[in-house]
Amino acid sequence: MGPDISHHPLAGADGSATISSNLYSVLAAVNGPIEVQRRDELPEEAAIEVNIRPASGVGGPRERWLESVVTAVLRSVLLVHMHPRTLIQVTLQLTTGPTLKLKNATRDISVLPSLVNAAFLALVDGGLPLQSTVTAVLLAVSGEEVISIDPAEKELAGCKSVHALAYTQHGDLLLNESAGNFNLEVWEEVADRAEKACVAAVALASEDDEMANGTAEAAPWLRRELEEKARDAVAWRDHT
Amino acid sequence: MGPDMANGAPTAPGLSFPRETFAKLTPGPFLHAHLKQQEPTRANGRSPEDFRKPTVNIGSLTHSNGSAVVRVGDTAIVCGVRAEILLASDIPHPPRDDVEDDDMIEELGLLVPNIELSTGCSPAHLPGNAPGTLAQSLSYRILSLLNASNLVSPSDLSIRYTKPQTEDGGPSEEAREVTKAYWTLYIDILCIALDGNTFDAAWAAVIAALQSTVLPKAWWDADREAILCSPLTAEAHRMQLSGLPIASTFAVFSTASPLKRLEEADSWVLADPDSFEEELCKENLTVVMGTKHAGNDGLLRLEKTGGSVIGKVAMQRCVRMAEDRWREWKGVLGGG
Repeated sequence: MGPDISHHPLAGADGSATISSNLYSVLAAVNGPIEVQRRDELPEEAAIEVNIRPASGVGGPRERWLESVVTAVLRSVLLVHMHPRTLIQVTLQLTTGPTLKLKNATRDISVLPSLVNAAFLALVDGGLPLQSTVTAVLLAVSGEEVISIDPAEKELAGCKSVHALAYTQHGDLLLNESAGNFNLEVWEEVADRAEKACVAAVALASEDDEMANGTAEAAPWLRRELEEKARDAVAWRDHT
Repeated sequence: MGPDMANGAPTAPGLSFPRETFAKLTPGPFLHAHLKQQEPTRANGRSPEDFRKPTVNIGSLTHSNGSAVVRVGDTAIVCGVRAEILLASDIPHPPRDDVEDDDMIEELGLLVPNIELSTGCSPAHLPGNAPGTLAQSLSYRILSLLNASNLVSPSDLSIRYTKPQTEDGGPSEEAREVTKAYWTLYIDILCIALDGNTFDAAWAAVIAALQSTVLPKAWWDADREAILCSPLTAEAHRMQLSGLPIASTFAVFSTASPLKRLEEADSWVLADPDSFEEELCKENLTVVMGTKHAGNDGLLRLEKTGGSVIGKVAMQRCVRMAEDRWREWKGVLGGG
């Protein structure tokens, strides 16, 4: 389970990845550390620039807002102090999106997990120093207070509230964007479910666990991807 | 030998910096020194949970349909609402009939907020510059919240017309009400002084301005095929907002760094940060709380980015503080 991922689809960028979930496909490219414009230069850390391009048309205020959200997440993931006075440039191109008519607030929040996951995979592919592993999930709460992880379009269109959360492998909440109509109890339940799903995505898959909860949301999809990537990276040793 | 010794001045040089110099040179340790006292106090004298006192002045712009000036500490925001008529026949792609009433405002874009920071309100935003990332994302967050909170009722914004029954009309020909035009509200937000927490103040200014918005009586004149407005203020009607959504922002000051073990780091959640604190805080949380009633559970929006200090426990505390803040704003704004 988990989204479809391909590593390093772009030859020119330092790091790149595509990720397709049931709602969005995102192509992410990372360049860095590269030279930074004088006015953006930070004396003690690397500047992070995120560019988001929508599937059609050019970006507007909506993309500026999404960029600022993604930048803040990446800043807490990257070890920015290791490359002072440089720039880490992340470009996120949306390639497909939901076809159903969604409310704007729902649409904005539903895209965030895909953007964060894509950006993270591209950072890994680019070999940038990271302080933690981050996973983002989307959750929707229906009118009957049923919480669903990775909701389908239909569930999103009729949901009461929608939540995008990102957790590190230790279960620290890095990002929360919730909109709709909800109360604190609902949010706490959502946060619990999201934390479990995010931690499970990078958890060591022991056989007991898989027997106990072989559910879709508990699949360590991100760990599998990263392990596979690490194996590919050292494959040359086996050939020599 | 210092210069004082050389010319024999009696005053010994100070061993510490004055407050302002310390704040300028090392803002981080300066704030940290304040917060790590027995009773944490921020550099501005407030306790971490203290919000600044809001003041609201309504109807200060005479030529707009509604306006408000909101001041929260040293942040001052002017908001003006201008109503324009959008003819239904001018809409290039009229929404299909199955669009729900609630979605109509978003679908047609009847609320157009725009925030201007390039007014000389702070040294960080040069006057006359094009809107930067911050201004654009603030505008977008306000637009998104306006649409998601269903604050303005679509019936206030539609200009209806009842088609008279024609004499030769068959039984199917009934008096039918159609929307001939809509009011579009241009909500212009000007920041005239900026000392942190723009979003809360700007959002409150939007609410106050919309609460005071008066729309003239408008009707469709079938003979002239145009919308006519009444100049009489007695006939004009004040817009009715549903609920009172209030935004409360928190910032987190943390001594965490990648060079230090996480357990050694201290952090404080600061309510209603000013610009000095905003500079030093990477993590932010905005809670938007609406009126609690049947079918409305209270929270409309939770936005948190930039760090990992606010988890479930801190979130509970922040939501509680946001509830208190909501009551404070309700006292100032009324309504809700």
